[in-house]
Amino acid sequence: MKVRIRRFDGQKAWWQDYEVDAKPSDTVLDILNRIREKHDHTLAFRQSCQMGSCGSCGMVINGLPALACQTRISELKTESIRLEPLYNYKVIKDLVVDLTDFVNKHRSVKPWMIRKNPQELEEAPMEFKVTPDQNLTFVQFDYCIMCGLCLAACPTVAIDPLFLGPQALAQAYRYIADPRDEGFEERIEILDDSHGVWRCHFAGACSYVCPKGVDPAKAIQYLKKEVLKYRLLHKKKASVKPAELIQKPPPANAPKPPPFDFKIEGGE
Amino acid sequence: MEKEKEEKRYKSGLLRSLRPYKFNLERYTYTLHRITGVILILYLIAHVFEIYHLALGPVAWQQTMALLSSLGIWEKIGLWIIAGSALYHGANGLRLILNEAFGMLLGKPVLPEYPYTPTSLSRNQKIAIYTIVVIVVALWIWAGIYLLWGLGII
Repeated sequence: MKVRIRRFDGQKAWWQDYEVDAKPSDTVLDILNRIREKHDHTLAFRQSCQMGSCGSCGMVINGLPALACQTRISELKTESIRLEPLYNYKVIKDLVVDLTDFVNKHRSVKPWMIRKNPQELEEAPMEFKVTPDQNLTFVQFDYCIMCGLCLAACPTVAIDPLFLGPQALAQAYRYIADPRDEGFEERIEILDDSHGVWRCHFAGACSYVCPKGVDPAKAIQYLKKEVLKYRLLHKKKASVKPAELIQKPPPANAPKPPPFDFKIEGGE
Repeated sequence: MEKEKEEKRYKSGLLRSLRPYKFNLERYTYTLHRITGVILILYLIAHVFEIYHLALGPVAWQQTMALLSSLGIWEKIGLWIIAGSALYHGANGLRLILNEAFGMLLGKPVLPEYPYTPTSLSRNQKIAIYTIVVIVVALWIWAGIYLLWGLGII
């Protein structure tokens, strides 16, 4: 199989062709490892888990951002493969891109639980309770593995390097939708900005390429709705009061649950 | 001395942002929305310039009208393109308002299960887009017939 890779060595960029033995069941990451082992040990690319969990091996495969470890040769249905570094990022070497801006944007939306009284987090007597229905409102956006594919696909990121991007905005919504969080007013200053949520024009490419089904485009449109509601009607998404969040210990006279049976069927 | 990294972001910029090839249908609608928006802005500037001649008196206005008439069929083609741009930009804009301000056509948050199909790009969104395309094309054809009728061709 012919593999064409966009190389960059710190000085110049060029396209390099490799002829590699490949099985239909191979992933693009298998092919890259084979090239590095047998053909060219100078080829640089990121990888870690090899199972679509770490988000390291994001690259543009035949013109579409994807994870190399999740893309099988048979799925591509082409005679040759064309590999490029992720679009809209600065390239460090070959297929390795600089994710500094990406991580800074993620950090800027404060992707952690904010409570008005931080002591509640430090000294909570019991766990903060979330019902399955409440969990379903944000858990989809919690699946983000920070692979950066959505920013490579986003046409707005291509023209505005300061735009927060689908990943950061989806993570902002993930915490805003969480009933345990009270940080909406802290986050809105960065979200309600010309480089924030309003720069998204809903091309949907982020959701199209997301390898974990996070659907950042949906989160961003929901976020716009929340920001509009807050600015026009001064209504913000209701967060739950601490008393409702903290699971109360069972009353003293409550029947005790039966002790757990550790016996294994058929065992002694 | 070696550069630490490439100075420019790889394959970014205006032209790249307008290239939807290989991506989803919504990204095609995005590109068309941007292009029709630019056409409408250019038209508005030209239109304000045209109307400005009214303030210069009847002679100037007659001269402007004569200049436009001298373009012949090109004036009508231009108007037809502007009509198409306004129709598409307006109709797609309504869809985007439904999406962005009211959170409609997006589906509810779900537990992601493989194979992932983002609900924001699924059936409802596609139906809305195809409906827009059908309505816009029908009205655009009607606008073309109307303009040809004005020219006395049909």
